[in-house]
Amino acid sequence: MKRIEYTVLAAALLAAGCGTQPGGKPSQRQYFVAFSQCNNAEPYRAAQNALLARLLGAAGDVKLVIGDAQQDNARQVAQVETFIRQKPDLLIVAPNERAALTAVMGQAVEARIPTICLERDILQPNYTTYIHSDNRAIGRLAGQFIADQLIKKYGTAKGNVVQMRGLLGVEGEINRDAGAKEVFARYPGIHIVAEPVADWIQAKAKDRMTEVLRASPSIDVLYGHNDPMAVGAYLAAKELGRDQGILFVGVDGLGGEAGGIKKVMDGVLGATFVYPLCVDKAAEIGLKILHDPQFHPEKEYTLESTMVTAANAADLFKKL
Amino acid sequence: MKGTLIGLAGIVLLAILFSPHAADGSRIFLQPGNLTDILRQVALIGIMALAMTYVILTAGIDLSVGSIMALATAVTAMRLTASPPGMGHVQAMVLAIGAALLVSAAAGALNGAVIAFVDVQPFIVTLASMIGIRGLAKWLTHNTNIDIGFGQDVAAHFASLFWQKAVVVGAFAVLAVIFGVALARTVFGRYVRAIGDNEKAARYTGLPIRSVKIWVYGLSGLLSGFAGVLYTAENHQGNPNAGVAYELDAIAAAVIGGARLAGGKGTIAGTIAGTLMIGVVTNMLRLNNVDSNVEMMVKAVIIVLAVAAQRQRGAE
Amino acid sequence: MPALIEAAGITKRYGGAWALRNAAFSLERGEVHALVGENGAGKSTLAKIAAGVVAPDSGTLRIDGREVRFSNPLEAQRAGIAIIFQELDLFPQLTVGENIVVRNLRFGERWLARPRAIERFSAPFLEAVGLPVSPRRLLSRLSIGQMQLVAIARALSLEARTIVMDEPTSSLFGDAAERLFGLIGELKRRGVAVVYVSHKMDEIFRVAGRITVLRDGETVGTRAMAETDMNEIVRMMVGRSGVGVETSAAGSVVAAPPMFEVIGLANRKLKSVSFTVARGEVLGIAGLVGAGRSELGRALVGLDRLEGGTLRLNGKPVHPRSSRQAMRLGIALLPEDRKLEGLMMQMPILENGSLAVVGRFAPAGFVQGSRELAAMRPWFDALALRASEWQAPVSALSGGNQQKVLLARFLAADPQVLYLDDPSRGVDIGAKSDIHRIIREFAARGRAVILVSSELTELLACSDRILVLREGRVAASFDRGAATEEKIMAAATIAGAAA
Repeated sequence: MKRIEYTVLAAALLAAGCGTQPGGKPSQRQYFVAFSQCNNAEPYRAAQNALLARLLGAAGDVKLVIGDAQQDNARQVAQVETFIRQKPDLLIVAPNERAALTAVMGQAVEARIPTICLERDILQPNYTTYIHSDNRAIGRLAGQFIADQLIKKYGTAKGNVVQMRGLLGVEGEINRDAGAKEVFARYPGIHIVAEPVADWIQAKAKDRMTEVLRASPSIDVLYGHNDPMAVGAYLAAKELGRDQGILFVGVDGLGGEAGGIKKVMDGVLGATFVYPLCVDKAAEIGLKILHDPQFHPEKEYTLESTMVTAANAADLFKKL
Repeated sequence: MKGTLIGLAGIVLLAILFSPHAADGSRIFLQPGNLTDILRQVALIGIMALAMTYVILTAGIDLSVGSIMALATAVTAMRLTASPPGMGHVQAMVLAIGAALLVSAAAGALNGAVIAFVDVQPFIVTLASMIGIRGLAKWLTHNTNIDIGFGQDVAAHFASLFWQKAVVVGAFAVLAVIFGVALARTVFGRYVRAIGDNEKAARYTGLPIRSVKIWVYGLSGLLSGFAGVLYTAENHQGNPNAGVAYELDAIAAAVIGGARLAGGKGTIAGTIAGTLMIGVVTNMLRLNNVDSNVEMMVKAVIIVLAVAAQRQRGAE
Repeated sequence: MPALIEAAGITKRYGGAWALRNAAFSLERGEVHALVGENGAGKSTLAKIAAGVVAPDSGTLRIDGREVRFSNPLEAQRAGIAIIFQELDLFPQLTVGENIVVRNLRFGERWLARPRAIERFSAPFLEAVGLPVSPRRLLSRLSIGQMQLVAIARALSLEARTIVMDEPTSSLFGDAAERLFGLIGELKRRGVAVVYVSHKMDEIFRVAGRITVLRDGETVGTRAMAETDMNEIVRMMVGRSGVGVETSAAGSVVAAPPMFEVIGLANRKLKSVSFTVARGEVLGIAGLVGAGRSELGRALVGLDRLEGGTLRLNGKPVHPRSSRQAMRLGIALLPEDRKLEGLMMQMPILENGSLAVVGRFAPAGFVQGSRELAAMRPWFDALALRASEWQAPVSALSGGNQQKVLLARFLAADPQVLYLDDPSRGVDIGAKSDIHRIIREFAARGRAVILVSSELTELLACSDRILVLREGRVAASFDRGAATEEKIMAAATIAGAAA
C-alpha cells in the first residue's frame, strides 16, 4: 500500500472512532456528568457504573460519560484533566490511589466544577462532597464476627487468620484492616498468620492463597477485603482439598448471581458485609446539585452497612 | 523523519477538526491549557523515549525502563520522607534526587555491562532486569506506596516544586535538545549510529563498542530515573508498581518516529514527533469521549499504520 | 532468429542519479558475452535488469523476441535466466544444500524439509564447481571464496539457459578460477549463454566471445573479441587511451631492519606462520581460498585468539587483545567483505570515511563538519572518488566506489602496519592503478603494508616480496624479481614445491 493510502485509512479510523460518540455538549439543555471510575474490571465498580447510569438516566436530562482508568494513576489523572477541559456540570471521581489523584481533583475544584469524591478518599479535601461508607465499622463487624465464630469452634477465642488485602493505600483497605485489627487486639489468642495483597482481584487472590496454604498447615479463617478475593481464596482451598476447615469472610455483598450474597447462600462464604455502592447517594446528591443552584451538600456522607449470613441471605437476595 | 512530521501534522489537523467546542465557541483541543496538558501527559514517556532512541540505534532494546522508573520513585520518596527534620529543604531534595538518579544510572550501566562483556542479547538482559529491579523496588518499600503529604515538610515542598507543568515540560524540552544535539553532532552520537548499523564493521574500525554500550544503557537508566523523580512529584507517592508497560510506550514512540529496531536508523526529532503523535491521538479520542478500550485499539492500529508507512518510505 | 536476450533503450534512476540511460545489449544463444565498464558505468545494474532483480524505468527487454517485464527474479528464473550476484545473496544461517534449493524451481520445495533429497540434489553441482564440502555444512562456516562457489553451484542447478555472473572470480584464485573457466566452457558446449560482468581484462579475453562496453550508463559499443584488443576496450571504457595496469616502480626498501615481525603465529586455522615486513615495504600475500589469508589478518589485530606465537612492532612485543587495542598500537585491518564487515550502509559517505579518525576534528566531542571534510577530501580525491553529495548514504554508491570509501577510512587512520584484504575488489581498471599507487605511496611514508589479493597481476605489480600461504602455513616466499605467476600458483597448490 502506498503511504497516502495508509494516511487516509488512519484518518478514516480516527474519524470513525470519534464519530461513535458525539463530542462535547449537545444542543438541548442536557447536563453533562463525567464519572472517572478507577477500574471497570472490578465487579463492585461495574455494579456502581450500572446503577449510576440507571439512576441518572431516569432523570431524563443527564448525559453521563464514564471513563475507565484501568487501575492506572497516570491514566486517571489524564482522564480527569481532559474532563476538566470539557467543563462538565458535575464531576464524580472514584480515585485509584489517594496521593496520586489529590492534586488533579484540586484543579477541578479550582475550575469551579462541582466534584463528588466517591467511596475512596484522597489526601486533601479537594472536593465538594465525599460520599462513602464506614469501612472501619465494617472492619470491626467482620472482626467481631470472626472472633465469635472462633469461640464457637474452639470454646475460646483463638485461631489462625489469613487477611487477604486489597490495593494498598486505598482507604477501604486501610480501614477494613484497621477495624478488624482493633477487635483482634482484644483477643490475644487470635493470630494473623499471613497478609497477602491481591489488589481486589479474584485471580490474584487465588494465587496468593495457594501460596499461603502451602506455607501454613493450619488456617481457621480467611478474611478477604472484598468478596471476589474471598471467593478466589475459596477456590484455591477447594483445589487443595482444604475448604471445609476454613471460614471464608468477605466484604461487598452485591446482589445477583455473581454477588457475595449468593455466595453466602451457596455456603461458599460464611459471611459478607453489604458495602453500599454509594452511587445511589451520589446520584441523589448529584441531581440536587444540578437542578438546584442553591443547594449546598454536606462535606461528607457516610452510609451504613449490613452483615449478611446464612440466616438472612436468602431474604436480602430477594430484595435486591 | 519527514514522514513522521507529515503524520504528526495530519493527526493534529484531524484533532482540530474533531475537537468539541467550548462554551465560548473556541475549540477545546486548541486551548493552551489542553495543549500543555498533552505535553505534560507525554513528558515522562517522552523523556524515556529519548534514551530509548539511543538504545535502539545500537540495535539494542531496553525493557527495564519502567521498572527503573519505579525504583527511582521509591528511592526519591523514601529519602525525602526520611530526611532529618533539621536538614535544609534544598539539601534534602538534592540528596534525594541525587540518590535516585545514581541508583537508576547504576542499574542501567549494569545492564550495559552485562550486554557488552558477557555478550548476552539486550532483550534477555533487560527483560531479566525488568523483573529483578521491580522486585528490588517492591522489597525496598515492603510493597507499599510511600505517600507524600500536602504539609510543610520537605517531601511536600519537593512535590509542589516539581509537579508544575512548566518544570515537567521544561525538563522534557531541555533533555530533548541535549540528546538531539549529542546524537547528531558529537563523536559519541556517531559511534552509537555506527555500532547499530554494522557492529562487525565497527569492531574492525576499532571503535570503543563496549564503553559506548555501557554509556547508552546507563543513560537509559538515568533518564528513567529522571522520569521517576518527576513521577514522584506528580503523583505524590513513591510507587514500586509504577511504570508497568511504560517501556512499550517508549519503544512505540521511537519506532513511530522512524527508528529501526535493527539499528542504525533513528533521530531524536523523529522520536519527539512520535511521542507527540501518540499524545495527540489519545487526547483527541478522550475529548470525544471514546470508550477507553476502543481508545487502546485505535492506538494500536495507528502504531502499526505509522510504522508501515515508514517502511514504504524506506524501501524506495 | 531473434537474439536470446535483447535489451534496448534501458534507463534507470536511483534517487537523483542515473545508473543507466539508453543502455542496450544483446545476447546470442550459447555465447559468452562480457559486460565491462568503469565503476558506476552501470554494468551491474544492466545485468540485474536482465535477471529480473531490478525493474527498468523505461526501455524494452525481449526474450526470444517476445517482450517481457519481470517483476521479480523468480519470473526471470522461469524464463530461463539465473544470476550470481557480486554481493552474494546467500543465507549464512542455512546450510549449503538449503542455499542451493531455496526458491529453486528445479527442486520443488514442499512443506517438510527433506535433508536427504536436498543432499542428493545438490551434490552433483557442488562437485561440478569443485567444492568438497557437505551440503549439510552451515554456510556461515565457509570462506567467502567457497560461498561464491556455492552461488555458482546454485545457478548451475537452476538449469538456466542464461547465467549472469557479476564479478564471479572476485574471491577465486588460481585453481578455482581455472575451474570456473572450465565450467563456462562446459556450459557453452551445452548451449547455455553466459553474461560475464567483470573488471579482469585477462579473464575476459580468455572466456568471452563478444564484449559490450558501458560508460556513464550508456552502451558505447559491442565488439567481437577476435576483432579488438585491450587498448581499444580500455579506450571505450574510459574515453581516453593509454590507461593500463602500470607496474609501479619499486621503492628503496628491504635494506632496513624489520619493522613488523611475526614469529610462529598459530591458532585454529594457522599453523606457525612467521615473516617480517620492513619499513616502507609492501608484502604481498597469495594463496588459495581457505589458505588462511583472512585469518592471518584477523589474528594480527586481535580479533581471533592466538594459541601461540609473538608479534613485534619496532622491536617491542605487542599483544593486541582486541581490534581497538590493535588500532591504538598502530595495526589495522581492511576487511575482505565491505558490506558485512566494512561499511555502515545507512550512514553518509563522509562519516563512513572518517569513522576511524573522527576524534581528530572533534575538540570538545562535537564534530566540526568543515574540518572533517577538509581532512577526508584529499583521500577521496587521491582515490578518484567523486560523489555529488558527501552526505548521501554510502549505499547509494556503486560497489567499486564503496570499496574506495572503505579504503579511505583505513588510510586516513594512518596505522604503522596496514593489512589490506583484497582492497581493490570490485574496482575498475582505471581506479585499480590509482589504488596501487596509493598503496606504494603509503608504504613509502615509512609504513608496513601487507597486501592480500586474489589477482596475481596486482600482487606482482605492487609488492616488494610475495608470501604464499597454503593450508595455514607459509609455503614459499619470493622476491619481486624472482616471482612469476606459475611459481606462485605452484607453491599455492602443490605440496613440496618451495621457492
